[in-house]
Amino acid sequence: MGKKELRKADFITSVLLLLFSIWMLIETFKMPMKDTFGGVQNVWYVSPALFPLIISIFISVLGIALFIHSIKSGGAKYFLDSISEKNKFLSDKNIRFISILLALIFYVYLDIPRIDFFISTILFLIFFIPIFYFDEIRLLRKLTLFYCIGNIVLIFIFITKLSTLFSSYYKYFMDLIALSFFLIFGVYIWVNVKNNHIFRKKYIISLLVTLSVPLILCPVFRFFLLVPLPREGLIIQVMYNIYYLIK
Amino acid sequence: MFIFEQLSIFFQQILVLVSNPFNILILFGAVLLGIIFGAMPGLTATLGVALLTTLTYGMETSTAMVALLSIYVGAIYGGSYSSILINIPGTAASAATALDGYPLACQGKAGKALGLTTTASAIGTFVGMLFVITMAPLICAFALKFTSFEFFLLAFFGIIISGTLTSHDLVYKGWIAGFLGLFLACVGRDQLQFYPRFTFGLSELDGGLDVVPVLIGAFGIPQIIQVLKDKIIHGEVKRFQKILPEFDEIWHHMPDIIRSSLIGVGIGAVPGIGEDIAGWVSYGAAKNSSKHPERFGKGEISGVISAETANNACIGGAMIPLLSLGIPGSPPAAMLLGALMLHGIQPGPMLNFDHPLFIFQVTAILLLASFAMWITGILLAKQVVKVLWLPPPVFMPIIAVLCVIGSYSLGLSIFNLYLMIPIGILAYFLTEMQYPIAPMVIGVILGPMADANLRRALMVSKGSFLPIVTRPVCLILIMIILLTVVSQTKGYKKLIMKISGKLFSKR
Repeated sequence: MGKKELRKADFITSVLLLLFSIWMLIETFKMPMKDTFGGVQNVWYVSPALFPLIISIFISVLGIALFIHSIKSGGAKYFLDSISEKNKFLSDKNIRFISILLALIFYVYLDIPRIDFFISTILFLIFFIPIFYFDEIRLLRKLTLFYCIGNIVLIFIFITKLSTLFSSYYKYFMDLIALSFFLIFGVYIWVNVKNNHIFRKKYIISLLVTLSVPLILCPVFRFFLLVPLPREGLIIQVMYNIYYLIK
Repeated sequence: MFIFEQLSIFFQQILVLVSNPFNILILFGAVLLGIIFGAMPGLTATLGVALLTTLTYGMETSTAMVALLSIYVGAIYGGSYSSILINIPGTAASAATALDGYPLACQGKAGKALGLTTTASAIGTFVGMLFVITMAPLICAFALKFTSFEFFLLAFFGIIISGTLTSHDLVYKGWIAGFLGLFLACVGRDQLQFYPRFTFGLSELDGGLDVVPVLIGAFGIPQIIQVLKDKIIHGEVKRFQKILPEFDEIWHHMPDIIRSSLIGVGIGAVPGIGEDIAGWVSYGAAKNSSKHPERFGKGEISGVISAETANNACIGGAMIPLLSLGIPGSPPAAMLLGALMLHGIQPGPMLNFDHPLFIFQVTAILLLASFAMWITGILLAKQVVKVLWLPPPVFMPIIAVLCVIGSYSLGLSIFNLYLMIPIGILAYFLTEMQYPIAPMVIGVILGPMADANLRRALMVSKGSFLPIVTRPVCLILIMIILLTVVSQTKGYKKLIMKISGKLFSKR
């Protein structure tokens, strides 16, 4: 971040910090200061509000200092100027950042709590590895869009409770849908890269890593470290069957 | 007699550790893993310790400590590989090494440079270990006289000093990060009255934020985003034939090694200040004291030795406040503190009573780790550098998966993952805006200590703040805190300039 950008960010941060400290003060004053809590008569110096109060005061003082500095160093002016400027929101760097966030958010908030951990992980890696490994912005945009559409379909199925309906027919139906999405996405990438031998090679490496990472991690955590995985579905069940067959 | 008794306990601990083949396996395995983590740009020592914490949760405490300290030692040393061979520091700790290490590699002396860093790092770790065994028990004994006021001020001191020294932009950005960490520590039911604070009615937040997912989020996620967003591309990896220990050269640079070790230990002992600062300060000191400062930056051996000795000596330094006061001396030490808490060990003045052999165990592990690091470095460097060919877009997503499974597996809670992502994104934005992350992490760790001790102290003094100025240690701490804050003001700087100007003109 350049100096100008930094001072602009300081201005925005200082305002956010001031708002945050005000919220913190409001919340702190809701805590028992001298009132009774749980049958105990409070005194101010034992109150649970004391420490947050000190922190909120310090944050507000530092927020003010940052605010003054950002105004003096032209941060406020840069911010106001940037409002009138037309910013390229979907710049290459921003697209890369958005893709990373989307991958992490879909993985943690959508897939892990609802879909078999193995399938969630391959779904995450098949998107996350190739998009940066290809190092081609056109492909990154295309694949991100496709991945988003697929995940939106999954969100739709979960929100409309269709997932419950499907699961009543077959326990691992949603895992099958996610696995199908993985396969479709894999084919979609192949279609896009098949004419370029460098991309083809990179895709094969990505695919190998995508499959081998959960293939190592899941048994290590589940059977060696005895850590139950966040969601154990279709593939983990198959691993169980193999494990007990060997045992 | 006392010294011999202490020494015999120390050697007993070494024997106990090495008599278990599993420990030896873990020792060498973790050192090797650490070197790989350190060597790969984008992966850090803190992240290595964080991810290994999740795997060592089920192990015995001593075995877990072997693994965690070994990966820490290995990672700090491993950073020199990429600094020397591709001119990109594997960890921030080795940034200073690149200045002279890479020119040496360009001159066809990569093997020599790596041999020097291997031996210098081992000596640095060894000297750090000597300080742990001598200083930590003394500080522990001294800290037994501390009351709640001292502990509150000590936590405050840790945040202020680390905020001041780690800020690259405005100094108060470090303090803001520290106070944001303290706020995060407030979330959950308070320790004295169990009143829910900032929990938004969520029962998952009642127990407060789990330290390890917060640390993994704060150190792991920003790293993943930065590496992938900014497209870190390696240059060509310089080739080398073999690595020799370079004892003659090391002996020739003994004054550099002694000075760098002392700098490393001293900087490591300051709360929150990591190995990177130790490396830079030591490099600067070597340049200033050199008869040929013009050679620095062009492949000067003293530069490589001083940076590498200091960053590894810093490990021992960082362990001193961690073990004796419960205050981490560096970001990886903060992660170690989290791991120790998971194993039911509370570092601090009572450590010698609760676990009388623990400090000996830690020092024994540091000695073994430095030895294992030296052997691994000399024998396997040629194989390890092959990891530098791995493209970051392939291994960073794997790190993301490890962060996720690591955060989840400690509490078996998906809620930890829900927390890890926003904290990681917050840490990323803070890093982009030049806010240091170490004070925030120290705030999260020391927050409960500061909160409970402040209220306990006021309970004893019936609401009076007078003991802060009547108790000698409190007075010293408050003076240092105030001096640190005041020294950052323009008025103070002008005053110092004026005084020094007058003194100079009198001469």
